[in-house]
Order: sequence, then C-alpha cells, then structure tokens
Amino acid sequence: MEEVRLMKGNEAIAEAAIRCGCDGYFGYPITPQSEVMEWLMQEKPWDTTGMVVLQAESEVASINMLYGGGGCGKRVMTSSSSPGISLMQEGISYIAGAQIPCLIVNVMRGGPGLGTIQPSQADYAQTVKGGGHGDYKVIALAPASVQEMADFVDLAFTLAFKYRNPVMILSDGLIGQMMEKVRLPAYKKRMSNAAIKENFPWATLGKKEKEEQAIITSLHLLAEEQENHNHVLQRKYRQIEATETRCELLQTHDAEYLLIAFGSAARICQNAMHTLRDEGIKVGLLRPITLYPFPYEEIKKLIPAIKGILVAELNAGQMVEDVKLAVEGRTKVEHFGRLGGMVFSPAEVHQAFSTKLLEEHV
Amino acid sequence: MANGYNFKDFKSNQNVRWCPGCGDHAILRMLQSTLADIGRPQEEVVVVSGIGCSSRLPYYMNTYGFHTIHGRAPAIASGVKTARPDLMVWQISGDGDALAIGGNHFIHAIRRNIDINIILFNNQIYGLTKGQYSPTSRKGTVSKSSPFGTVEVPFRPGELALGARGQFFARTIDTDLELSKEVFKAAADHKGTSVIEVLQNCVIYNDKTHIAITDKEHKEDRTLHLEHGKKMIFGKNRDKGLIRVGFDVKVVDLGKGGFTERDVLVHNAHEKDTSLHIDLVNMEYPEFPVAMGVIRSVQEPTYDENVQLQMDAVHQTTGIKSFDDLVHSGNTWAVD
Repeated sequence: MEEVRLMKGNEAIAEAAIRCGCDGYFGYPITPQSEVMEWLMQEKPWDTTGMVVLQAESEVASINMLYGGGGCGKRVMTSSSSPGISLMQEGISYIAGAQIPCLIVNVMRGGPGLGTIQPSQADYAQTVKGGGHGDYKVIALAPASVQEMADFVDLAFTLAFKYRNPVMILSDGLIGQMMEKVRLPAYKKRMSNAAIKENFPWATLGKKEKEEQAIITSLHLLAEEQENHNHVLQRKYRQIEATETRCELLQTHDAEYLLIAFGSAARICQNAMHTLRDEGIKVGLLRPITLYPFPYEEIKKLIPAIKGILVAELNAGQMVEDVKLAVEGRTKVEHFGRLGGMVFSPAEVHQAFSTKLLEEHV
Repeated sequence: MANGYNFKDFKSNQNVRWCPGCGDHAILRMLQSTLADIGRPQEEVVVVSGIGCSSRLPYYMNTYGFHTIHGRAPAIASGVKTARPDLMVWQISGDGDALAIGGNHFIHAIRRNIDINIILFNNQIYGLTKGQYSPTSRKGTVSKSSPFGTVEVPFRPGELALGARGQFFARTIDTDLELSKEVFKAAADHKGTSVIEVLQNCVIYNDKTHIAITDKEHKEDRTLHLEHGKKMIFGKNRDKGLIRVGFDVKVVDLGKGGFTERDVLVHNAHEKDTSLHIDLVNMEYPEFPVAMGVIRSVQEPTYDENVQLQMDAVHQTTGIKSFDDLVHSGNTWAVD
C-alpha cells in the first residue's frame, strides 16, 4: 500500500535511504542538514535492514568512509552542507579516479567560507565543473521538491553503480528544511555479498587463490597509463551525457521566452511563470534535473522560437554560463540572482524578467 | 587594577549571543579579567577561534580576533604566532572543534610547542548544531545523533594533550571564577603551548553534564585542586588524600587505616616525567576526585626558541657570514 507522509526534505532523504537498501551512512553534523543523520539514528535501521549509521569525526572522515564502503561494493552515502562538501573534495576526486560508486548529498547554504545557514545555490560550479583536482565528473541531481528528495536517492544509487561514479544530490536549505507531502518508496532489500561479488568484480570482497586481485586505486604513475585511464573515464562521461540527461519542461510548447532554473529556484520561477502567462506573455520553464550531464541539447531545440532567456539562480551567475554555451549567442540570455543566503520571491523574478527581457522590446 | 586596566577594557561593544545561563559567559568574563590583570595592551592580543558556540568568543573581545574554520584554529593560531611572535595568542575551541574535526591540528600545535594558549570549552556535546554527541561525550550519552546512547569511547582531553607531548595542561570549571583566572594566568605565563580544559555547561543540549562534581554541595569532595608544591589533599573537611601504591594512585581517608598527611603525594607540576601527570588528568569521578588547577607545567624550548637555537648553531659553524659569502658559496665563475 502506498505510504504518504508529511516530511522535511532532509528526513525524506534519510527515510528513502533506508527503504532503497542503503548499506551505510556516514556524516558529520552541519546546519541545515543535520536532520538526515538524526532521522537515521532515530529510526535505527541497523535493527531492521542492517544499515550502518555512523557519526564521523569530520567530513573528511565521512567521504573516506564512503571510499572504503563503496570500494566493498556497498550502497554508501553521506550528506553535508556547503562548507562540509568543500572539505570532501579531495575524497571525491580520488573516488571518481578510482571509479567507486557512492552518493553525496549537499544541502547548500550561503558562502563563501562559513557564510550563512540560509539556502543558496552557489555550489553549482563546484559540483558540475569538478570541485577537486583532475579531469573528472560527478553526476548531479537537483531536486525541486521533498518528493524528489526521496525519489532521487534510489535513482542516485542506480546511476552510481551503473557508471561506477560518485553521484551528488544537489539540494539546498530551502528544500532540506521545508515540509511537503511525500509518497514513500517501497522497501528494497540490501544486496547480499554474494550478489555484490557476482555483479561487481571490482569490489573488495576477499581474494580467493585463483582470482585476480582487485586493487582500488586512482594512481597510475606512468603518464601513458594515466592518459589511458583518463580516456576510460572520458568515454564513460560521454556515455552518461548521451543517456542520462534529464530535465523538466513546463509550458514550453508555445513559449517565446524561457525561464531556466534548477532546484528551489525553479519552484519560485514556476510561480512567476504563471503570473507572466496571466499577463499574456508566452513564457515557459526549463528545469534541469541533472546539472551534470547538463541539458544543452534540450535548450538548443527550443532556441529558434525563443526571444530571450532569464536564468534565475540563488547565486551570482553560475548555471547561466552553461546556458550560454547551449545558446551560442543565438538569443538573449540574462541572469537574475540573490546572493549569500537570500532567496528571491516570485515577484522579484517577475520584475527581473520584465526589466531584463521585455522593456527593451517594447 | 594597578596597571590601569579593567576587564571592561577587553569587552567589545557586541551583544553576547550565547544562551542565558550558558557557561561561556563566565569563561569570557574570566578571560577579560585575566587579560586586564596581565595588562598587555589590547592591540597586542589576538583571539583565534574555529567553529562552534564557544568560537563566537573573539567577537566579544576588544582585541584582534579571528573567527575561522571548523577545527583549523590551532593551525591559524600557529600562523599568527609564527608571523607575529610579539603578540599574545589565545585560541578558543570546543570539544567538537578541537577534538573531532580539529584533532589533527590540535595535537600538532601541542607537539610543536608554539607559544599559544588554547582554551578548550568542554561541554561534551555539539551545541551549535543543536545537540549531537561529541568526542568527549560519555559512553552511553543520549543525544540527537545517539538516541539509544553512544557506543564510542570518549577522548580525555588531558590524556590527549599529554600524549601529544604537551607541557602545560590545566583544568577548571566555568562557574569557578577564581580557579579559571588562576589557570588562565598560569597558561599566559607559560612559554609554549598551554591547554586549559574548562568543564563547561551547555544549559540547552547537555545541561548538568558536569553536575556530579561541580555542584556546591559536592565539589570539594569530588574535585582535587592541585597546587605546585602542595599536598594532594581534598574534601570538605580536608580529610582525604591521594597516595601512590605501586604504579597506581589511590584515595585514602586521612586518620584512618594508619594513613596520615605524611603519606600524601606532593604535587610537582614541573616534573618532566609524565606518568603521575597522566594519572592525574585521567582521574574520573566516582572512583577519584577530578583534578583541577595546573596539572602539568614544564618548561621546554618553544618552537621559536628551537628555531633560534638552530640558527645560532648554524651561524657558529658555517663559513657563510654575509650575503657575499652566500653568493660565492656555490658554483660561481667569473665572466671575462
């Protein structure tokens, strides 16, 4: 029977993790996402599904526990907020290099530095352009509702294991803290060691005499070897880009203008879009669900009919660069943002849209 | 004050934003008061903190301040002290900041013996993130992240500091103003890294965590105020003492079982050997009284002094005495 509950976004992530057969959660308290670990500790899944929940001594420890647990072929995850995610970048780079699947949840807050505990989307560039060193990519899912917070957990693990790659759910303090109705996913069994062994020969499961060693490393000292390894990664990224790009289109069928926004900003833009539509302006909303891979092609397809695009983000202009790459100068692209933990209202988006895109055309 | 300073001279104009009843208020006041007694001008004092409730302290000091990165304050304080050895550097940390995420920097600052004073506010909980257990939470502590009690063994800050080759460790209680001032003063006088553990009460998320030893009724029977050169005697009636039996320390009732004051250990804070000091920092109620005051204060060369000693030694033995000597010390040749 379908189970519906009123939950915070952070709680929905935690509950979904238990239900989708997550093997381990490792985290460190930080506002505005501490409820993820608190929910898990309160539900004590070690008694029900056998899931491990551990409070680490730092985010550096958490991400490296993922490296170890993921290396064993287990479904492991962590969650944090911006400053903590910055700390994890070293581990993420190594995990991407070693091709270990894992899930990292970033409930973003305003920065830089310690910043504020209020919501922000200023970690877009860090997430999709590679926050750590080296040529690597992290698949990034951007939920725009508490429902998606729950739904994306299983999706993230599926993608992580399909591509042996870290996946990030890039949320923010707004969705993490707000309460909405959630249809909870059904329970899924955790994978047995035997099944892991059968499906993931790379995983650390103990070597028998005649088996090949499974060494997990991101080190290839010879440049030729490292280049080959990089080509393997790049081929994988091209495949991800070709098959896993996701976005939501709202009222774009007859649109002359586009709003492009992700996550919580898209929810606010949706409201602004309705007001603009009521005023007779044909505006649609494109919401990237995967930030990497980015929906360049979907934007390109819409461009011939579009007079102007407003990219609205809770940052100083990060995703707008990717929109410009998609548009290639063929239509006007403007940016509107609030910074450092301030959240724009639908009215502000409406105002920015009118000023930046409409007034000059009058 | 004889030197013209008053604690108010070290108060900033900011509103203190700790909860009413928080132990931090008293610690702040005692630090301001100690600095007034010491009489260093405000511009010669720097207070560096990491992240946590206690780390808001620099805002409330009318001195230079850094509010920095979670766990990294010892590294930043080390940077300040090595860049400006003439400044007096205080580092403020909580148990989560110093011992969880910052454990690495904490032990290495101590090992280097850089002349900084670390005040460790130990309330055995993460207060700022609203109540998760910390590395000093007692085993079994029920918190938001351990609703069924923790299973982890806590750090003992004193044991960790001494294990990191710390030469100064003192302990006080937030509500014991006199003792706090005494140990802050001693830490300031000590050259090298000083660690002061303050048993601090978080009135919201871990209220009364130290109450068994800090309440007025029992404090004298359950704590031992150590003073260099004095006998380790404690109790309301000064009728209990600490003795050595083999390798162990033991509490005895004076006048009973043939034990008298003569058998009681004398505190030597300057003893280089750490064995008794480790026993003292590890004493926990109810088996032992909890040791207060300056437990260890041993003068060893600081990082600065060691660098100076090395430079002096090199100056004496090297043939390079000037810049010209240096330029001509390697492979040089004349161009005709």
